[in-house]
Amino acid sequence: MLTYIIRRVLILIPMAFAICFLVYLGLELTPGDAVSHMINPDALGSMNADQLEALRQSLGLGQPFYVRFWAWFTNLIQGNFGYSMNGGVPIGSIIATRLPATLELAAVALVFSTVLGCLLGVVSALSRGSRTDNVLTVIGMLGVSIPEFFFGLVAILVFALNLGWFPVGGRSMPGYMTLWDRLPHLVLPSLVLSIMLTAGVMRYARSSMLDALSRDFIKTARSKGIPEWRVNLLHGFRVALTPVVVLIGFRLPVLIGGSVIIEQVFQWPGIGNEFISAVRSQDYPVVMTIALLSVMAVLLASLIVDILTAVIDPRVRLGE
Amino acid sequence: MAHQTYPTTRKRTRLDAQFDRISAREEAGEARSKGGSRAFNKFLNNRLAVIGLIIFSVIVLTAIFAPLLTPYDPNRIDLRAMLQPPSWEHWFGTDRTGRDLFSRVLYGGRISILVGLGSAVLAAIVGILIGVYTGYVGGWLDALAMRVSEIFMSFPQIILVLLLVSILGQSLVNLMLIFTLTGWGGIYRMARARMLSIREEEYVLALRSFGLSRPLIAYKHMLPNALGPIMVNITLSTAAFILQEAGLSFLGLGVPLSIPTWGNILNVAQDLRVLQSNWWVWLPVGTVISLFVLSVNFIGDGLRDATDPSQQG
Repeated sequence: MLTYIIRRVLILIPMAFAICFLVYLGLELTPGDAVSHMINPDALGSMNADQLEALRQSLGLGQPFYVRFWAWFTNLIQGNFGYSMNGGVPIGSIIATRLPATLELAAVALVFSTVLGCLLGVVSALSRGSRTDNVLTVIGMLGVSIPEFFFGLVAILVFALNLGWFPVGGRSMPGYMTLWDRLPHLVLPSLVLSIMLTAGVMRYARSSMLDALSRDFIKTARSKGIPEWRVNLLHGFRVALTPVVVLIGFRLPVLIGGSVIIEQVFQWPGIGNEFISAVRSQDYPVVMTIALLSVMAVLLASLIVDILTAVIDPRVRLGE
Repeated sequence: MAHQTYPTTRKRTRLDAQFDRISAREEAGEARSKGGSRAFNKFLNNRLAVIGLIIFSVIVLTAIFAPLLTPYDPNRIDLRAMLQPPSWEHWFGTDRTGRDLFSRVLYGGRISILVGLGSAVLAAIVGILIGVYTGYVGGWLDALAMRVSEIFMSFPQIILVLLLVSILGQSLVNLMLIFTLTGWGGIYRMARARMLSIREEEYVLALRSFGLSRPLIAYKHMLPNALGPIMVNITLSTAAFILQEAGLSFLGLGVPLSIPTWGNILNVAQDLRVLQSNWWVWLPVGTVISLFVLSVNFIGDGLRDATDPSQQG
């Protein structure tokens, strides 16, 4: 088990490094003075040309590319991401203030879509070929075909503007302190974000469950006289679970992508919202840093999924 | 000895009726296969796929014949007819600058479908060109291509698209290039995986022993056997790209706003007043996008069932 984990990590490290290098290359190629995102702009404004030149030398901007990359990379590892080109806020503190909002949204959507998706998928698989199954299949197809922002708009119109049950957008209002106060703000965005994910999980859980139910050990269990619900849940679902766990990892990119758009629709003050405004104002350091962090999150998730799969299914860790 | 009588008629069951129907059809000569390929017939028997094909054709045809169907220029501003609800004159109403929305949806469909289908085909060409050859040849070339695709695919797609938009700038051509660049990985992997299994077939060995060149074997003799899944993949990525274009344009970061596309029409719905009081500006076009993507997904699913013999039902 340990050797398996170590091997996975060793594969991952060069890839993460290559991605960092590419992102730095992109940062170098984009227009804009590198000084502006390495130094606090207040300090930058109070300098004259000579001081600026001295600063360039001391920062090593006259040095060859690979030296500069290494300096940037070591800073990055220590959590020093540089400064935004607009307003000169350290990127680290932008992310620190924005990340909790995104995580809150993503966590609710992930849990909700996993539970609902597995449930519907299993129901669909157990009633294979029936009307319930067909209706669920078409609904699942609708879920992946309707643009998520369109869902968001309809949800805002119906539940926020017309019925007035939930606020139109934002994460909280002045004076709202606890999670309970903010809960109404969370409902619509997290539900809309869940819809697309649920449809994906459902389709996957269905085929995975069908696959599990067609195995020989299910016949054995039935022939032993075990009650049908026990066969389905304890024998079938447990085996069907492995691919669904994998799918949770694969859903992370979808989740990040979806939250970028949903955060914009609901004016949710998360990372995705920050990313969009950075793209709009061509604030390259912020764009690159957020992109880099999202890739790292995906790589980490895939590592965790690999380990989890190995824990659940011994064939994986012994097979290679 | 008691004489036992058997009933000459027994109760007819459902199976009897079914059998009679089948034999009646056989006598009428209808039971024979209609001809055409097995996959094609299987596709036509899939109700959802046929419905998808019909919706798809209707939307594509109306987009192609847009000039015949509407007298309005999609970009002509008419300040005397701002935000009018649907009427006989303007079927889908007009937007904030009095442009006819029906005509904008039709002309917008041209661009949106072009972006979706065009990028999917371009991405497929890139993915196939790389995947088929490296999958057949293997070795360091294969390892290199695999690593590169892994790097591309570890980015969440929207993040990578937006990153490239911020570097390259917004334009129709750029958007298609960006979609191609971010989308080739999926089809590359599938083409490569198919090649790895086809490579083991004996006819490939035979071709090699005839001394055929590697590209000839890979592209001419192996590629056709992988076309089924590739078609499915192109269909499904068309749907994905149309959704992405709509999302990006909705954010104002896709196709420039001066060109009508489905996403650009929806862009104004970010304004809550438009959302609440002018439903005709965003509801019809949102429905058209959803229907189109749905139909493409149905077609893709139908194609998969029809071309993949291992998948029954």
